[in-house]
Amino acid sequence: MKNTNKAKKIISKFFVYVLLIIFAIFMMGPFLWLISVSLMPGKNIFAFPPAILPTFIDFRNYLEVWEYMDFLKYIWNTVIITFLGVTFSILFSALTAYPLAIFKFKGRNLVFLLLVSTMIIPAAAGLVVNYLTINSMGLINTFTGVVLPTLVSVFNVFLFRQAFMGIPTDIRDSGKMDGASEFRIWAQLMMPMIKPAVAVVGLFEFMANWNSFLWPIIVLNTEKYPLASALSFLNGQFSYNFGWIAAGTVISVLPIIFVFLFTQKYYMEGISGAVKG
Amino acid sequence: MGKKRTVGFSRFSEVQTAWLFMAPGLVLLALFTFWPIIFSVPLAFTNYSVIGETSFVGLDNFKRALSDVDFIASIKNSLLYMIIVPFIQIISILMAILVNRNIAGIKFFRAAYYIPVVTSMVAVAIIWGWLMSSNGVLNYLLMSIGLLDEKINWLSDKDTALWALMFITLWKGLGYYMMIYLAGLQSVPNDCIEAAKIDGASNFQLITRITIPLLKPYVFLCTLISLMAAIRVFDEVFVLTSGGPGNTTLTSSVYIYQQGFEQFEFGYSSALGLIVSFIIMFFSIFIFLFNRKGGVNPY
Repeated sequence: MKNTNKAKKIISKFFVYVLLIIFAIFMMGPFLWLISVSLMPGKNIFAFPPAILPTFIDFRNYLEVWEYMDFLKYIWNTVIITFLGVTFSILFSALTAYPLAIFKFKGRNLVFLLLVSTMIIPAAAGLVVNYLTINSMGLINTFTGVVLPTLVSVFNVFLFRQAFMGIPTDIRDSGKMDGASEFRIWAQLMMPMIKPAVAVVGLFEFMANWNSFLWPIIVLNTEKYPLASALSFLNGQFSYNFGWIAAGTVISVLPIIFVFLFTQKYYMEGISGAVKG
Repeated sequence: MGKKRTVGFSRFSEVQTAWLFMAPGLVLLALFTFWPIIFSVPLAFTNYSVIGETSFVGLDNFKRALSDVDFIASIKNSLLYMIIVPFIQIISILMAILVNRNIAGIKFFRAAYYIPVVTSMVAVAIIWGWLMSSNGVLNYLLMSIGLLDEKINWLSDKDTALWALMFITLWKGLGYYMMIYLAGLQSVPNDCIEAAKIDGASNFQLITRITIPLLKPYVFLCTLISLMAAIRVFDEVFVLTSGGPGNTTLTSSVYIYQQGFEQFEFGYSSALGLIVSFIIMFFSIFIFLFNRKGGVNPY
């Protein structure tokens, strides 16, 4: 009796792992194949049957694309855009969310209604008008012009509000007893309490800024492009040179995967806090 | 000195403090979220473009839109794109159930499934563009297991292109929805499951009788998010097909973009944007009403 139960458990565990691995191949396979393409310079990926696993390893593609494309410049552009985007997005969204969570003031419901309505109203036509706005502000071909339109998202404001509402009221009261200003309470007492939410917003904003390619193409000149825009440019210009494009893609993808792996442990906590509502 | 101040009130009253805190955020929202919507209304009634003088043209843009074959096709394609929504829910719920257990290496698998979400659509589009070409890996795999007789150029065949794009959208999004569902599953109280187990419920019953009903608000949230994403789909279409072959993969966002930034017909583009906005608004209101009935909160 006991033995059959044990055997059953082992078999079901085995099936779980088989399923997990099948899904992992489905989700990761294309990336692994990309790496394998990038490591085989001169290999034609459209040969049939195609080479799926690398038969030899050579980093020439990386060296060539790095030199030819001036990748360091694009990485630097992306880093600045992402840094500006993430920092100010967290700052402004958390500032906006704080009174909505803590205070009862006149107009609070109106602000709420406005915020919710942005979730209903789509921004399909927004691109043209935002371009005109950025243009009239003299911000064409600046990084500020790239990050400004997407700095405050309603999603982030709601996520922070939810997190602030979870903080016990005594903490704010104790800050007040010590005579701290509201801003100091927010910065020194409240913000450290909502680290998981900050991690989630940080990760989402990192993703959005690091990966954005369309708006930068509209606003910036080629030499100021971030990686994703440069990559779509590279893909259009050198579509025959698979190795280069593969290497460039790998270079552009690795940093964000690392950031994700580092923030991952906060991620679940933050997500469940955000969804519960 | 400072200590004598009334507790809670510094130089500003609470109301003033509230508005001061919100000021930068609200200004940015007003400028880049509300202003585009407000300003595109008058723009839609003009022939504003890079060339020629701008003048008021009344309803001309809207009349033109209704007889614009490409625009009608793009609306159709955008609506068709919503087919992926139920598939996203089913597959990502199954994935969430699969990774919702404490076994060795589970964190690795969760991370692996999330990686397509964090990578840029440009990168994903490049990879899948290669995989799906007629001499690509996908055809090779499908032919070697006998599911396919002859090579298909998935993204340039007018019968398959839209479906291929939908598949890419689905594949990239699964991890995102899986994580939300996983958060939902982990909020299911353990006693609930233990009690059911003691009562002799099978695994299948556990899923259909306890897990799924408790996941309802999450299903709602994910349906809403994925529906909005599907109807606005842009990046993958723009990078991989820009609407072709013909107009078989033209989606409304891509067409609006093309009219605005490739034809520089800002007036016409704004009019198209307004029409699409109304269609999306219709769906959102429908969902929100449905939501109120269900009594769940999407945020």
